[in-house]
Amino acid sequence: MSQANATLVVEDIHKSFGAVEVLKGISLTAHKGDVVSILGSSGSGKSTFLRCINLLETPNSGIVSVNGEVIEMRSGKNGEPMAVNRKQVERLRTRLAMVFQSFNLWSHMTVLQNVIEAPIHVLGVPKAEATEQAKALLDKVGILERMDYYPAHLSGGQQQRVAIARALAMNPDVMLFDEPTSALDPELVGEVLKVMRDLADEGRTMLVVTHEMSFARDVSNKVMFLHQGRVEEEGDPQQMFSAPKTERFKGFLANTRT
Amino acid sequence: MDFSLISENYDFLLLGIVNTLSLVSLALLFGGLISVPLAILSADRHRVFGPIIWGYTYIFRGTPLLIQVYLIYYGLGQFEFIQNSVAWPILRSAWWCALIAFSLNTAAYTTEIFRGAIEATPLGEVEAAKACGMSRLTMMRRVILPSAFRRALPAYSNEVIFMLHGSVVASTISVIDILGAGRVINGKFYVFREGLYSAAVIYLALVVLITQGFQLWENHWHAHLRPRPTSTPLKAPKH
Amino acid sequence: MQNIWEYRDLIFIKGGLLTIEVGLGSLVIATLFGLLGAWAKLASNILLNTLAMGYTTIIRGIPDLVLMMIIFFEGQIFLNYSGEVLGLWGYVEISPLTAGIGTIGFIMGAYYTETFRGAFLSIPNGQIEAGIACGMSRALIFRRIIWPQLVRYALPSFTNNWLVQLKTTALVSIIGLQDIVYNANAIGRKLREPFTFLFAALLFYLVLTAVSEILLRSLEKKYSAGVRRV
Repeated sequence: MSQANATLVVEDIHKSFGAVEVLKGISLTAHKGDVVSILGSSGSGKSTFLRCINLLETPNSGIVSVNGEVIEMRSGKNGEPMAVNRKQVERLRTRLAMVFQSFNLWSHMTVLQNVIEAPIHVLGVPKAEATEQAKALLDKVGILERMDYYPAHLSGGQQQRVAIARALAMNPDVMLFDEPTSALDPELVGEVLKVMRDLADEGRTMLVVTHEMSFARDVSNKVMFLHQGRVEEEGDPQQMFSAPKTERFKGFLANTRT
Repeated sequence: MDFSLISENYDFLLLGIVNTLSLVSLALLFGGLISVPLAILSADRHRVFGPIIWGYTYIFRGTPLLIQVYLIYYGLGQFEFIQNSVAWPILRSAWWCALIAFSLNTAAYTTEIFRGAIEATPLGEVEAAKACGMSRLTMMRRVILPSAFRRALPAYSNEVIFMLHGSVVASTISVIDILGAGRVINGKFYVFREGLYSAAVIYLALVVLITQGFQLWENHWHAHLRPRPTSTPLKAPKH
Repeated sequence: MQNIWEYRDLIFIKGGLLTIEVGLGSLVIATLFGLLGAWAKLASNILLNTLAMGYTTIIRGIPDLVLMMIIFFEGQIFLNYSGEVLGLWGYVEISPLTAGIGTIGFIMGAYYTETFRGAFLSIPNGQIEAGIACGMSRALIFRRIIWPQLVRYALPSFTNNWLVQLKTTALVSIIGLQDIVYNANAIGRKLREPFTFLFAALLFYLVLTAVSEILLRSLEKKYSAGVRRV
């Protein structure tokens, strides 16, 4: 498989916060339908890596390209990198929908309003059409009955399902999941993982930062294990889980519930 | 207390109510319009405008409204170029001077209220908006400001009451507001209770009305904060 | 400018000191009313609760200048009436200074009531229970546990109220007290330099505000040792 027809190509991302280098050159290629799980202990840089892809964090160097379109970067006044064209970044972000660890639903909008907001005001979809589509998505994640509720009136699992519907409403090329189940009570994790499994089965391209080993092993077709800002081991999940090559990943698996 | 005195002079009090209400509501309108861009710029920590806005709010919040009103009504006439300007007919009028002072004053307080509310926007909600590809303008208009206004409402309702309270200084520069009307009645009939107590009761009634109004508004706008009893059981995600 | 220097005594010394006197004098009274009001609101006595409720509602409902005028006149009448009835004192005249300090203190007391009430309610009940569990007496609990925390929780709101109160003192010029506003306005208009003089008064208040803020905020810092900033 080449990079030519890849949906998402990330090359050699470096990122420092002050003097601390959090990412020391990470690359990743995802084709349509790929489900990539990104593993690592806390501090390994996995969330930062995901946030660099849609430029919520600006990488110090490296290339991000979506459907062959490269995000243009230049160095700003203090030598810090910045995007050349904000419009381009905004456009590409609509192709890379994100689901956050803490849901980040807009608290002053109802469930339905959360889902139709960006399609109407970013993509310019007519309201009726956006509403119809949103209802279908809410039905799919099993939360249509709650569409007039405010986020504060929902459980964490329900909020995260709404957040997934909100991401889906953009009809993105790639979905980025940043530890989507880490803020949930254990009994609510299952309902969210179920929805994510369904999306994978549909052939969605997904990048998932997670601690859920069963999801990484059974659902994704590629696993990346990060350690201290570098890719320590990557490859096919079945192989990696049954025969880890590096001592670090072996240790990581031993310390994690599977 | 001679109640017939009050009922016979109700037209004075009515005029007072009209003047107070128009001054306060126009000042709130203009002050509100000025404060939104100022609050955005100062929450943004704009390099040039930030310190200027800070200075403006510090001066107007740190000094008595009475002096601000005096400065505009009595003070500006000191300068000849102002006396010769086209704005002089306006700046000579006590009513307009009160309106200008009140607007600038409430704008300063409201800027601080909105700035605080904007800065308190949950970071995650802003990131979610960015991640959807929203432009800064859309994000401000659709996510940050609507949620900030809701958060600012309780503090803003206090500001409205304080503006009403503060508006009594208009009577010291000869505007017939509610207190002014009371004092006119007192002066005319050599009494003190009739006018002052009528004014006090009217102000009290207005404060109660405004408080109730904001309560209704908050109930409507803060629906997302109130607990909501769940009645219908929710289905599990579809299989 | 020259004129201001010439009249500096009348404006800054006489007028300015009077403003500070009214401010600090009314602060003492307001704090007393505030503590009293908070105690009445928190007491388990319906009469006291209602009284305190009425006090704060009336004050919040009626502008300070209106109240000041009413109290100025009625206080005088009440004082002489009660003196006559009790036969303890003859005709007395309240000076505008006393009236100004008293009314501003009485008015601001309603706002301090909320300050102290809120601060008291912020103290976790468990800490008082922990004191009881240690065998501390009620007086000891108040002195060692409640009071230091009361000060800490009350200070931010106390600072805000004081800044409001400082500005309220300007109103005494309307009932005839020759404070800085009164003097600046009178002299400025006489000399046809009202802007210059009023601006000087404005700066005087600005300095008072800034100094109060610096002092009180540093006090806040001192009392919030051990409080985690979030």
